[in-house]
Amino acid sequence: MSVSPDALHWEAGGTSRIPFAVYTDEQRHQRELERLFYQGHWCYVGLEAEIPNPGDFKRTVVGERSVIMTRAADGQIHVVENVCAHRGMRFCRKRHGNATEFVCPYHQWSYQPDGTLQGVPFRRGVRQDGKVNGGMPADFNPKDHGLTRLKVAVRGGVVFASFDHDVESLEDYMGPTVLQYFDRLFNGRKLTILGYNRQRIPGNWKLMQENIKDPYHPGLLHTWFVTFGLWRADNKSELRMDAHHRHAAMVSTRGSMGQASGQAAQVTQVSSFKESMQLEDPRFLDIVPEPWWQMDDQMPTAVMTTLFPSVIFQQQVNSVSTRHIQPDGHGAFDFVWTHFGFEDDTPEMTQRRLRQANLFGPAGFVSADDGEVIEFSQQAFDSKPQHRALAELGGREVGETDHMVTETLIRGMYEYWRKVMEAPEKCDGGAA
Amino acid sequence: MSNWTDVAAEADLFEGAGIPVAPGGRDIALFSVEGEVFATDNLCTHGNAKLCDGFVEGHEIECPFHQGRFDLRTGDATLPPCTQPIKVWPAKVEGGRVYLNLGA
Repeated sequence: MSVSPDALHWEAGGTSRIPFAVYTDEQRHQRELERLFYQGHWCYVGLEAEIPNPGDFKRTVVGERSVIMTRAADGQIHVVENVCAHRGMRFCRKRHGNATEFVCPYHQWSYQPDGTLQGVPFRRGVRQDGKVNGGMPADFNPKDHGLTRLKVAVRGGVVFASFDHDVESLEDYMGPTVLQYFDRLFNGRKLTILGYNRQRIPGNWKLMQENIKDPYHPGLLHTWFVTFGLWRADNKSELRMDAHHRHAAMVSTRGSMGQASGQAAQVTQVSSFKESMQLEDPRFLDIVPEPWWQMDDQMPTAVMTTLFPSVIFQQQVNSVSTRHIQPDGHGAFDFVWTHFGFEDDTPEMTQRRLRQANLFGPAGFVSADDGEVIEFSQQAFDSKPQHRALAELGGREVGETDHMVTETLIRGMYEYWRKVMEAPEKCDGGAA
Repeated sequence: MSNWTDVAAEADLFEGAGIPVAPGGRDIALFSVEGEVFATDNLCTHGNAKLCDGFVEGHEIECPFHQGRFDLRTGDATLPPCTQPIKVWPAKVEGGRVYLNLGA
């Protein structure tokens, strides 16, 4: 039985004024985990390329539950919950590894990579002075006591999982609009893992989704983007959404195929612009257009895809990554970046992707700013939860646009959030 | 043969399970099946379990930890999660004593 959080007051009726309380209430956070992460949704867990060989595994999370993505001896990918069927222990401590089985150290219960329980110590008891003592009940069947298995979907080398075995297909979940941007990036080529960034951001997890649904801030907050000519608010652009308005793609195309110029006349005139600044190493902006960028007659140079609730897929010129949002209470989340490349990349392209990855991650020239603003927003939310934020750029409605001067994607996400979170109680509880 | 080492009294054995013996510091399990004696390494090749504490089923020993099995005659792993064979030692009974050929 869950306790209902206090009702929220949405000023102006829609979702253009967002109550601070959506970021501050622990009960509401628990309801989000149940309704948005554990039921009816797919969550990102990793890339196939992270576990290329039989026995490989990666420990990660779905919402706040620890799970393990494994590859069994037959090559099949499984996702199992990291909770021993016996005493509930999070038995897997390694982040990555290779193993033919998982053994809980507490009582040596042993599981196959697909979660099947292999056997339990002293199931038939212990012999002492000619008599057998204890043991499990005669009707104990290991088949009934495997690890919790999640439903798994793999597309384009990306692995998703859901505790909800009745969830719609991954393709239906994304919807055709967002799926085409997903398929553009993950078009069947084998992926290669270039590296990880991990950071703890002391702010509500939704703020990261909102950050990547907010094309208002990049030219204003990110002085690096502006100073070195990678962002212009008047770039040719599109904002796209799925039918539920929960996912989105921010698509932008710079002139001259994404090549940054840094010329004063070509960048938005904001106070952060500093014409005199020069890059010590200009290779950070050694941008080379790639054939897969092409979509119809467009050649987008940046596509930021937000897949609700757990992940962001990034193409920012030659830098491609996944960003996994891992909530930890209402006021913090871990943000895990997986920088990748493609099997057919030349060594030069791999170097280029790695250099451009310096714009991103916790200390990235650009992304360091986002972690800080999220932290400072959360501080204010916690100090006056009765107040509200404003998302009225571009109007109070929700819809796709062919420009960036709007907060419509944030309003769209909260439209969906309200639909799920404000539904009657019957949705609660029951997820495995 | 000088390789045969006296490890136990036959009277110490019983049907259904094993007993541990430690000739020369080795950890070996002895089993008696229908009057015949078998010896295997005691430590399971899978989990950290003593096979002498397991359960004999026909000519198989079932490990007490994860219920994998080995054939006592050949050492073959016959049931998962055991997959690696267990070492078996030649055994014989003479004059009420059990002897193992530890040179084997």
